[in-house]
Amino acid sequence: MTTEVIEAARPAVRRLRRKAGEGIGLNSAAGHLVMVLLSLFCLFPVYWMVVTSLRPANAIFETSLWPTALSLDNYAYALNAIPIVRMLLNTLVISVVVTVIQLMTGLLAAYAFARWRFPFDKLIYAGVALTWLVPFQVVMIPNYLLVAQLGLLDSLTALILPHFASALAILLLAQSMRSFPREVIEAARMDGARSWRILWEVMTPNLRGTIASLAILIFISTWNEYFWPLLLSRTAENSVVQIGIQMFMTSEGNAWGPLMAASTMASLPILVVYIVLQRQVVQSFMKSGIR
Amino acid sequence: MAELSMSRREASTLRLRRAGNWRVSPWLYLAPAILTLVVWIYWPLLDAVRLSFFQWNMLPTSPQKFVGWENYARILALPKFWQALRNTGLYVLGLLPLAVLVPLALAIYTHDLPARSRNIYRAIIFVPMIIAPVVAAAVWRWLLDPGYGMVNTGITWLGFDPVKFLTDPKVAIWTVIVITGWKLIGFSTLILSAANANINPSLVEAARMDGASKWEIIRDVRLPLLSSSILFLVMMTILLGAQWSFTYINVLTGGGPLGATTNIYYLLWDFGFSSMSVGWSSASAVILFLGFGAIAFFLFKLIDRYSFHDN
Repeated sequence: MTTEVIEAARPAVRRLRRKAGEGIGLNSAAGHLVMVLLSLFCLFPVYWMVVTSLRPANAIFETSLWPTALSLDNYAYALNAIPIVRMLLNTLVISVVVTVIQLMTGLLAAYAFARWRFPFDKLIYAGVALTWLVPFQVVMIPNYLLVAQLGLLDSLTALILPHFASALAILLLAQSMRSFPREVIEAARMDGARSWRILWEVMTPNLRGTIASLAILIFISTWNEYFWPLLLSRTAENSVVQIGIQMFMTSEGNAWGPLMAASTMASLPILVVYIVLQRQVVQSFMKSGIR
Repeated sequence: MAELSMSRREASTLRLRRAGNWRVSPWLYLAPAILTLVVWIYWPLLDAVRLSFFQWNMLPTSPQKFVGWENYARILALPKFWQALRNTGLYVLGLLPLAVLVPLALAIYTHDLPARSRNIYRAIIFVPMIIAPVVAAAVWRWLLDPGYGMVNTGITWLGFDPVKFLTDPKVAIWTVIVITGWKLIGFSTLILSAANANINPSLVEAARMDGASKWEIIRDVRLPLLSSSILFLVMMTILLGAQWSFTYINVLTGGGPLGATTNIYYLLWDFGFSSMSVGWSSASAVILFLGFGAIAFFLFKLIDRYSFHDN
C-alpha cells in the first residue's frame, strides 16, 4: 500500500525536482561564464600575437586591446632578418612528404596485420606499439650519429628519414582495417584480385575518413616539430620555420613586433587549415587520443 | 561437372597462392615500416645502452673508451641529476591538475550546455593544441616580459610588484608548467567531455529516480564511468608531461635559473649536446627508459583493471 503511494508520487516528485533543476538557468549561465573564461585563457595569447605583429614600431608597448594603427612594418623586418619564406617552403615540403610517406608505410603495414596471420605477428604488432614508449631523447644520440655518418647533417632529407613510419599511423589504420568486413575482401579475392589491388582498390577508398584524419594529424605535428630539427640544423636555409623563430629569438632578443610577425607567419598555414577543417581537425586529434 | 572440376582447380591454385602469401607477402608489406622503426628506434635503443658504458665526446676522431659502470656511478652521485629527477616529478604533479582535474571538472560542469555553444567553445579551447610549441614559447615570453608584458602590466596595475616569471628560480618552473598546461587543457577537456557525453543518459536518470543527489550522481555514476578516460589522461601526463615541456625549457629558460627548470629530458639533451658527454647522456637515457617502462607497465595494468567499466 505505502509502496504504491510512493510509486504514484514518483512522477510528481520527479517533476518537482526538475522544476528545482530549473535553477539550471542560473547554472548554465555559470557554465557559460566558466567556458568563456577558459576560452579567453586559450585564445588571448594567440590574439595578442596577431595584434602585436600588426602594431607600428612605436606602438609595440601599447596595451590597448586592439591596434590603434595598423602597419606591416614588423613583417617586412622579419622577412629581412631571417629567410622565412624559404623556411616556410622547407617546412611545407617536409610536412607534405612526411604525411604521404607515413600514410603509405602505415597502410602497407596495417594491411599485413589485418589481412594475414603469420609467425610472430602479435610480437611485431606489440613491437610497433611499444615504440610509442621510447622517448625521443633516449635515442637522439645514436640517431644523430647515424645522420652524421650518412653525411646528412643540415639537410632536409635527414629531417624526413626518421618519420618514414610511425606507430600511430600503423595502429590506427590496422584498427580500422580490422573492422572492415571480411566478406568484401573474400569477394574481391574470388574475383581474382591480388592482395596489392585489394589494398589500393578495395580497402583504401573505404578508409578515406581515417586516412584524412591521420593526414591532418601527421601534417600538423610535423609542421610543429622542434626537437629533431634543433639537433640537425646548422644554417637557416636548410631548416624549418620553427628553428627560424628560435634563431630569431636568440639573435634579436626583444624585438617583440617582428618576433610576433614571424610567429604569426609560422602559424598561419596551420591556423588556416584549422579554420577550414575545424571539425575534422578536432576529431582527428580526439580519435588518436581516445585511441 | 566440368564446372565443378574447374572451380576445384581454381580453388587449388588459390590455396597455393595463399600458401605462398603466408610466407612472403606480409613481410613485404611490413618491410618499410619495420625497417624504419628498427633503424631509428630499436637499434638506437641498443646503441644507447652500449654507449652508456663508454666515455666519448662525440668527435669521430677521438676514441671511445670503455669505462664500465662508471658513467652510472658518476651520474647517480651528481646533485644535478637528482635535482632534474625531482623537477620531473614536479612537472608531472603540476601538470596533473591542469591536464586532468580542471578539465574533468569542466567536462562534468558544462555537460548540459546547449550543443551549439558547446561547439563554439570546443573550437576555441582547442586552438592552443595546434599552435607550435616554439610559437607558444615566443608568445608567452612576450606576455610574461617583466618590463612591458601584458601579464605584468596587469599585475602592476593591480598594485603589485612585477613578477620575474622566467628568471626567478622559485617561479620559473611553475611558469613552464602553466604554459605546458595551456597547450593541453583544451584537449583534455574535449576528451573528457566526449567520454562524459557517451555515458548512457538512462543510467543517470535511473540514479536520479532513486533519489541520488547531483553530487552522488557525479561520484557514483559519472566518475566510475569516466575512470578509463581519466586514467588514460593521467598516463599521458605522467609519461609525456615532462617531455612536452622540453621546447619551453629550451627556448624560455635554457634549464635555468640554476637548473631550476631542468627536468630529466632536458638533462639528457644538456649532457649530450652541451657538455658533449655521450656516456653520461646515454647512461641517464637508460635509467630514464627503465623507469619509464616500469611506470608504463604499472599504469597499463591499472587501466586494464578499470577498463571493464567501459562497456
